[in-house]
Amino acid sequence: MLSIKNLKASIEDGTQILKGINLEVKPGEVHAIMGPNGSGKSTLSKVIAGHPAYTVNDGVVELDGKNLLDMEICERANSGLFISTQYPTEIPGVNNVEFLKMALNSKRNFLGLPEMNDADFKKLCEEKMQLLEMDDRYRDRGVNEGYSGGEKKRNEILQMAILDPKVSFLDETDSGLDIDALRIVANGINHIMSPEKAVILVTHYQRLLDYIKPTYVHVLRHGKIILSGGPELALKLEEQGYDWIEEK
Amino acid sequence: MSYMNSELAQAAQARINALGMPKRNNELWSFFPVHKIPSVVDTAGTDCAANGAAAGGIVANSAAVECADFGIAAETDIAALLPIAKSAPAMKKDFAAGETEMGLIKSRDDFGHSIFNIGKNAKVSLEILDNKVEHEIAAERFDINVEEGAELEIFFANPANELPLQFRHFVIKQAANSTVHFSNILQDAGIGRISIDVDLNGEGANFDYRSLSVLKGSASKHQRLTIRHNAPNTVSSQFARNLLDEKSYVSYDGSVIVGNGCSQVNSSQLVNSILLGDESSVSVKPVLKIYHDDVECTHGNTCGELDADQMFYLTSRGIPAETAKKMLMKSFAKELFLPLNDGPAKKRLLQVLASL
Repeated sequence: MLSIKNLKASIEDGTQILKGINLEVKPGEVHAIMGPNGSGKSTLSKVIAGHPAYTVNDGVVELDGKNLLDMEICERANSGLFISTQYPTEIPGVNNVEFLKMALNSKRNFLGLPEMNDADFKKLCEEKMQLLEMDDRYRDRGVNEGYSGGEKKRNEILQMAILDPKVSFLDETDSGLDIDALRIVANGINHIMSPEKAVILVTHYQRLLDYIKPTYVHVLRHGKIILSGGPELALKLEEQGYDWIEEK
Repeated sequence: MSYMNSELAQAAQARINALGMPKRNNELWSFFPVHKIPSVVDTAGTDCAANGAAAGGIVANSAAVECADFGIAAETDIAALLPIAKSAPAMKKDFAAGETEMGLIKSRDDFGHSIFNIGKNAKVSLEILDNKVEHEIAAERFDINVEEGAELEIFFANPANELPLQFRHFVIKQAANSTVHFSNILQDAGIGRISIDVDLNGEGANFDYRSLSVLKGSASKHQRLTIRHNAPNTVSSQFARNLLDEKSYVSYDGSVIVGNGCSQVNSSQLVNSILLGDESSVSVKPVLKIYHDDVECTHGNTCGELDADQMFYLTSRGIPAETAKKMLMKSFAKELFLPLNDGPAKKRLLQVLASL
């Protein structure tokens, strides 16, 4: 489904952040990526999405056999990739619901489907907002404008629910969430997840993985995946940290 | 066909070049010696006997206008001088005390002069439409007297069509507790200058200016405001936003003068510009002359590109880059007019924004 091979990327000054990432994600799988601060976890999601601050030096990222790196940013999204960044951007003046509708209809245009009308979109939006226990305040505000950290994360999952991506890359979705919000967001992700889809979670803590059971856990350090394992690896990392892992 | 390729534009450009009229430096306009344009001005200081002129929704009265009344000097802002010097037909309209009226102003000629008196406690909304002119230079002058407690809303938008050199000059005098909301949208591709002189003569007078320029091509727009706080407890605010593409240029020359003894004056000026084109540019010059201590006067200016993170965020949700760019442009522009009361002017402004 998603295949990352030898992905290398650098920032403007030439510093290489990703030094050869390899990752295979199959439908129905949940992958958790853990690692110390500054190891390249957030960079990985941005590079896959096409953030202009990064230059890809080598590698291939394929989604269902198509190289995402050859596509425009919007094409990657419309092909089924969704990324949620650690700090969702605020866009004052762009209404949240209008933005969601624009995004959904852009995808439908890309897929050759007719645009969704207002009534159907309203129904879909209400259903997903109910799932995430979001109130009407989200409708009238600008995108992430004045939202708390937790509200922003909830709004990200709302977008994920409406856009219905094949692969979702969620960067520290659990940060800034209180206990109840963590449960709501995690339940939302589980609800959206299906055997045809995949989720990659970047997290520092086991607590998110208590709600969303990972198929695999990977440790990213110095721009490379240095260790992979099952759910038990996350528990060991929680207990012992990263120092025990020897880099190859 | 783009504006700058049209015959009208080429004729205007030839006229500018021949006369040595300023093209980029906004300051030069204020001191441009009018005698340098004899072919435009028939006779400086001519007898300005006015003719009546009718405009949609407004009945014009004949009025004799003495040039001396307008304090025109030999060297002055060309926008202030041209209509008078050209013996522009004057339209005079008095709005009675307590009256509520909405009107459209559409000048009949290339050179127009309108005189409005807004009576005590009247509520007036005026929309100024561009006149279609056939010459390379057109100029209009507005003298507006706003009496005590009156509220005036002025909305001016020029559409993105072919225009000659445009000059507009407003002289606004406000009595106590009067309010003027002045909104304009500059959208065409030509060269133009709008200058506004405001005198806040009565305590509690409030002048609010909001301007949006959405320019491309070789468009060059000059805005010059002079706001004089001549009484205590007066308020003025200037808020301009510019979206400049290709080689377009905006200059903003905003002066605020607070007279001696004018306590509790509040004045603000903010200009935000986004340069969409590699060769677009903006020049902002705030001038604050403050002759009293107990006042609050601020000014600010920002200039940059569309926010790269916001662009990334929108496109990463599948929205094409060109659509995302327009969404951000509209949101940038929309903020300018959000505080305005719902009414015909705001409705019209939002219509213009929707067409961007």
